[in-house]
Amino acid sequence: MDVQHLPPELAASAGNLGQLVAIMEGRVPYASALLKRDSGLQVTINNREQQVTEVRPRQGLVLTVWNGAWFEEAASAILTAEHMQELARELAHSVQIFPASTLVDPGPPSQAHFATACASDPAILSPKEKLDMCRDLHNKARQLDQRIVNVVVRYHETKESKAFVNRAKELSQNVLRLRLTLQVFVSDGQQVQYDWSTKEGTGGLELIQFTDQELRELCDNAISLLSAARVPPGMYQVVCTSDVSGVIAHEAFGHGVEMDMFLKGRARSEQYLGKPIASPLVSLVDDPSYATGHGSYFFDDEGQLSAPTYIIRQGIFERGISDLFSAHSLAVPRSANGRRESFERKIYTRMSNTFFARGETPVQALIEGVEHGVYLSKTSSGMEDPKGWGMQVTSHYGEEIAHGRLTGQRYGQVGITGYVPDILQSIDAVGDDFALTGGTCGKGHKEWVPVSSGGPHLRLKARLG
Amino acid sequence: MIPQLVDALQRQEGVHDWLLRRMQKKSTQYYVIGRQTENRRTVHSEEIVVTVMNDHRASKEGQALVRGEAQVTLLPADGPQLKHRLSQAVFMAGLADNPLYGLPGPVSYPRVQLADAEMQKGPGEVAEHLVQQLLETLAQENGVRLSSAEVFIEENEITLQNSRGASGSQVSTSLLLDFVLLATGDMDEMEAQIAFRRRRAADLDVPALARRQAQYARDALRARPPQTGTFPVVVSDEALTELLMSEGYSPLILRSSAQLKYQGLTTWETGKTILTEEPTGDPFTMYANGLLPFGTASGRFDSEGLPGQRTLVVEQGVLSRFWATQRYADYLQIPATGQFGNMEVNPGAAAFEELFAGPGPLYHIVAFSAMSPDPITGNFVGEIRLGYEMHQGQCQPIRGGSISGNLFAALASAQLCQETAFLGDYFGPRAIRFPRITVAGE
Repeated sequence: MDVQHLPPELAASAGNLGQLVAIMEGRVPYASALLKRDSGLQVTINNREQQVTEVRPRQGLVLTVWNGAWFEEAASAILTAEHMQELARELAHSVQIFPASTLVDPGPPSQAHFATACASDPAILSPKEKLDMCRDLHNKARQLDQRIVNVVVRYHETKESKAFVNRAKELSQNVLRLRLTLQVFVSDGQQVQYDWSTKEGTGGLELIQFTDQELRELCDNAISLLSAARVPPGMYQVVCTSDVSGVIAHEAFGHGVEMDMFLKGRARSEQYLGKPIASPLVSLVDDPSYATGHGSYFFDDEGQLSAPTYIIRQGIFERGISDLFSAHSLAVPRSANGRRESFERKIYTRMSNTFFARGETPVQALIEGVEHGVYLSKTSSGMEDPKGWGMQVTSHYGEEIAHGRLTGQRYGQVGITGYVPDILQSIDAVGDDFALTGGTCGKGHKEWVPVSSGGPHLRLKARLG
Repeated sequence: MIPQLVDALQRQEGVHDWLLRRMQKKSTQYYVIGRQTENRRTVHSEEIVVTVMNDHRASKEGQALVRGEAQVTLLPADGPQLKHRLSQAVFMAGLADNPLYGLPGPVSYPRVQLADAEMQKGPGEVAEHLVQQLLETLAQENGVRLSSAEVFIEENEITLQNSRGASGSQVSTSLLLDFVLLATGDMDEMEAQIAFRRRRAADLDVPALARRQAQYARDALRARPPQTGTFPVVVSDEALTELLMSEGYSPLILRSSAQLKYQGLTTWETGKTILTEEPTGDPFTMYANGLLPFGTASGRFDSEGLPGQRTLVVEQGVLSRFWATQRYADYLQIPATGQFGNMEVNPGAAAFEELFAGPGPLYHIVAFSAMSPDPITGNFVGEIRLGYEMHQGQCQPIRGGSISGNLFAALASAQLCQETAFLGDYFGPRAIRFPRITVAGE
């Protein structure tokens, strides 16, 4: 393995991975080795405090063996050559081998190194310059209105490096993720309300620039929530921004097509393979290779090279996404969705950048087609239900639509619920716009990995409360 | 490595205070699909998190002495880089201009029960035993099977030392049991998923919990959406902890924190009510408790070195004091209580069954899809994963739809039951009745 591109903390150990695989495959039918290191810098400023500090690094080795029936793993933060070899020997000799086993395909031979492309590398700025960048943004925002009681600016820069080796592959990558979040808190003396905006992605500083107009809108949104009402519960025609559309894609449907859920009997979507599941206007994609996506990477934690997966094409559920174990067990093609939170955690099937494909209807026309409904702008949370296919997405706020126009009446914290196929079938128009929103996704309530979701504006029917 | 690190910190120019925490973790993980092993893992990790404080003149001319802090994490291979890493920390700390604050000094730490000897001795055996208990119980349950289970057993050792003389160590264990049950009906299948976190295995009655979850899975098969309107709603057990605790972002915890007070993000004042409606229900009294035996948020000391404490935060609906780490206690000039720890709520007078009095309709929620009240406003909305509609003596399972409201308004009229539950980081009434909650359903 050519280790020169890896950070020095990994480079010395990465050269030994091939030897570790050979040690383990002396006894087991398949083995792999993964080195991971996440590190970075974080800057935080609010009206009363500031901090520049490193992102807590996580670094370790994962050795994986296939015993013919399941995977077993040993992971350690200690990366000396002697310790790694001892770990490999211990793991290989501790497992029970199932001789009549199926073979795990190591994949086509490949050797490559990958790195995130960026127009404006954050390395050109010193930590002090990054702090100054945040201070400037903070100063601009806090002066926008007297009702602002605090403005929080968070800059987060993470370099995720990894090296993967099995008997066919030697792969390494450096992925650079940036995120800049601006939160504006306002008060009328009785209550505090807030709004936020985040710019993020894999790439350079060019991804995280705020315009003055965006700051103004953020401030106005927060102030409008001081007089927001609760939405009267009921069924509505809804127009979703790409942010809300994306969370519907991710939470309502995406988790249910993670094929490790198929193995567990937890995915209702399994019954719909090859069948209509959504309006013919709808196509849904998961794409870890999407340039600049916050959930992008070049290969997954099992050495599978990234490529887009069409999950729904024109309303038909075509296929799910998989990790090695689920693809092997179900005898389906792999996708590059085997991901782990860190070396301390197991692989699961995970989404990357998940989005609805762009449509043809101008956004204004989506709104004009609503007699009485709600425009939902920003997601604050969501939760999957792959078996029951109930949907929970919470929008931080919404705005009433009447007679095809936004009325200015704000609704605070709107819950969107419904039965997933009903909601997907109800989509009657897809916007001609497109955007992704980055975030962090858990499997249930743990196993956090960076992702993004999005797509165009959508018009659909849902129960709000 | 700690003696060398302390020596290096004392010699490092620009370090005016420091704090180190050495953390070692041994984890045993066991994953099952149905009756088959899916994966087994062992993990060893260790790190030392070093926080350095640097005092300097503020970047604005003429400003007073200010303090910045930064953290670096030393991994096992970082020994040769020690001096360089500390220099980086000092440099970063020197960039930030914050008012001065201190660190806790030496104190005798309380003894707190944190570790399960059985889990320490044989984590793999405990993990297998828990899964075996699940499978044996489910073998007696009609129409229900195990979809999957995950067991994580960890032993954590923390050693803390700071520049003011605070020093201590603690060993704790933790257990995560996450399982999903599938119920099969004539035409359909439904699931019941749950995750429990505890410090010791004896705090989980796995057969009883498996039987309860099996019933929930069966009930989900015949559940229908709730009605739309305003109804009495009872929330119990894990669903109640989601509403009150919200996975670390509880509005009750955050709005009573000195940090948010200092940042101007909570309007609460000591001696004033936290409720936004006239109190008509049971008095709401809440403690921040770091000493709860085997509480998952208990500890002999917090991350700065303050001793574990039990602090009255809200008494009968009135904010008694802000809980405060040393830094924010210094800023607000109030006593330092340490990090929040576990939530302890005083029980009420009514028996659990009395919460369901009345002809109905009344809704009893036992599981949300996710319930995350807004940490600043207290507004909440959560999809009902499973509940029950009680109406004229009948009990009908429900799912879908949502409940919504504001936590500080809802608590004003809440009725708390007298039976208590210990649920990891929560000790208090196992159910609360809210008389008027908006339900969005059919």
